[in-house]
Amino acid sequence: MIQHDRPSSHRQPLSLREKLQLAPLLLVMLGLFGGALVLGLLQSFGFAPWFGINEFPNPDYFVALWSSPDFWLSLGLTLYYGVVSTLLGLIISVPLALAFERRFCGSKVLLAVSRLPLMVPYSVGIALALIMLGNGGIISRLAASLGLISDPGAFPAILHSHWGWGIIAVYVWKQVPFMTMAILAVLLGLGQGTREAAMVLGARTHQVFWRVTLPQLMPGIVSASLICFAFNVGAFEAPFILGGGYPETLPVLAWRYFNDANYVYQLQGMAVIVSLTLVSGVILAGYLFAYRRFERKRGRL
Amino acid sequence: MASASLRSLTFGQKLLILAVLAFTIGPFAPLIIQSLAFRWAWPDLLPSVWWLEQRQISPFPLAWDYVLSPTSKVLEATVNTIGIGVAVSLLCLLICLPAARVLARANFRGKKRLEFFLSLPLLVPEAAIGIALLMIFTGLGLSGTYVGVIIVHLIPTVPYMVRMLTAVYQGLDQGFEDNARVLGANDWQVLTRVTLPMLMPGVLAGALFTFLVSTNLFLLTFFIGQGSIVTLPTLLFSQISGGAMGATAAGIALVASLPGLILLVLSDRLIREEAFALGIGE
Repeated sequence: MIQHDRPSSHRQPLSLREKLQLAPLLLVMLGLFGGALVLGLLQSFGFAPWFGINEFPNPDYFVALWSSPDFWLSLGLTLYYGVVSTLLGLIISVPLALAFERRFCGSKVLLAVSRLPLMVPYSVGIALALIMLGNGGIISRLAASLGLISDPGAFPAILHSHWGWGIIAVYVWKQVPFMTMAILAVLLGLGQGTREAAMVLGARTHQVFWRVTLPQLMPGIVSASLICFAFNVGAFEAPFILGGGYPETLPVLAWRYFNDANYVYQLQGMAVIVSLTLVSGVILAGYLFAYRRFERKRGRL
Repeated sequence: MASASLRSLTFGQKLLILAVLAFTIGPFAPLIIQSLAFRWAWPDLLPSVWWLEQRQISPFPLAWDYVLSPTSKVLEATVNTIGIGVAVSLLCLLICLPAARVLARANFRGKKRLEFFLSLPLLVPEAAIGIALLMIFTGLGLSGTYVGVIIVHLIPTVPYMVRMLTAVYQGLDQGFEDNARVLGANDWQVLTRVTLPMLMPGVLAGALFTFLVSTNLFLLTFFIGQGSIVTLPTLLFSQISGGAMGATAAGIALVASLPGLILLVLSDRLIREEAFALGIGE
C-alpha cells in the first residue's frame, strides 16, 4: 500500500523479550514455510537421500522439463486461467464495490449474502459449476426449454474442455466477494471527499472514475489481484475436476508425477512445482514493480 | 447535488448487484433441488420423481438417507473439520498475539522486509507448499495425522491473523496499559484485565476468519492428510472428482456449505470490511 516513511532515528534494536514474542511466529514461518521452499528447491535439483538419491546439484530435471513442449503448453494453460479469471474478477468487483459503497437500503444484507462464496470451500463452487454448466446442467436445460438446442450433446462444452469457461467461472465465483471486500475496504478508508470535489469542479462521471477513483483504488486492486492470481495458478481441485485432461495445468501435472509409483518422478514433479513458483514469482514481482513505479510517478511513494 | 448522486444507485448498479447475486447465490437453488431429486432427466427443469416419494420403497438408502448415515462419513468429516478449525484458530492466536504486539509497537531494522515475508505464503502456490511439506512430514511421521494437518493449516492462516491482530494492536491506546501499571497492576493483570478485554473484538474476528480459512482448505489437508483425515472439503472432492453430480454429492455439498453459512450470519457484525485491507507490496 502507500509507504509511510518513518524517520529512521526511531529505530531501536529489539529487546530480548520482544525477540521471544516474535520467536513462535518466526519458527512457523521460517521452519515450516521457509523449510518447505528450501527443501522443494533442493529436491528439484536431485537431493532426496531418503530415496537413496543424492546427485545435488543436478539440473537434469529442469532440462528435461523445460525442453518438452508439453511443459510450455501446461504453463500457458495455467497462466491463462490465472490471468483471465483475475481480470474478470476485477472487472466485476470494482463496480460492485462502488455500488456497495453507497449505503443504500438493504445494502448491508445484500453485501453479506453476496459474501457466501467466500465462506464455502472451492469444491462447493465446483459442484455448482457441474450442476449449472454441464451438458445436462441447468443452463443446458434452460436452452432446451427456449428451443435453442434439442439434445444435451448440442450444448457447448464449457466443462472438461481446454480454455473453457468452467474453471474460470469457479475462480470468479469464489473471488469476486474477496476482491470486492478488499476494494470496499480501501473505498471506506478514503471517503468520498476527493470524488465529490472532482464532480463539483466539473469532472464527468467517466473522468472521475478513470482519473480519481481508479488510481485511489490501486492499493486494494493490487493486493487483491496478487493474492487471487497466485491462488489461481496454484489451485488444484478445479482444473483437476473441470479440466479437459492433457495438457493439464502445472499443479495437476505435478500431482500426477508425485503419485507415480516410480519415485524418480517425484523429483520431476518437484521441478514442475519450482518452475511454477518461479514463473508466478517473476510475474508477481513484475506487477509489484510496475505498481510501485506508477505510485512513484503519482508521488505517493 | 453531486453528493446526492454519490449516495443513490444508478439503474446500471442495481442491475449489476442483481446479476452478481444471481451468479453467486442462484446456483444454490438447483443444488438444493438436486439433493432432493430421485429422477431428474434432461431437459426437465424440475425432477420428475422426488427423493421422498421413493425412500419408503427403496431397498437401499437414497440421497439424504445416505448423507445422514454413518457410511457417508459426513458426521466424521464435520467433526474433523470443526475440530481442526478450532485447534488451528487457537494455535494461530497463541503464535500471532505476542508477535503482533511487537510488530505494532516496536520499530526495528528490517521490519518492512519481515512484514513482506509474512505475506509471502499468500503469494506462493499452495501446491508447492503442500508437496514439499508432504516430504518432510512423511519423514517425521506426521503425514496422515491430525497434528500434521493442524500444523500445515498454520501456513495460510498465520499471514491473515498476524495482519488483523497487528491492526488491532495499532488501534489500541498504550496509555490504558501504562495507567494500569502506574496504578500497581503487574504484567499478568495488565494482560488479562486491560489488554485482552480491549483486544477481544479483534481477537474474535481474527479467530473466526482463521477458522473459516481452515475449514475451507482442501489442498493442504488432501496432501498432508493422505486420505486418512477426512474433512468436508476432501469428502466433497472425492464425491465429485469423477466430474458427475448426483443427489448424494449435492447433499454433501450443502452440508459442506453449512459452516460457512453459519459463520456468515455470525460474522456479519464481527468481520469488518477493514480487515480485508490487505496492503501487500509496501
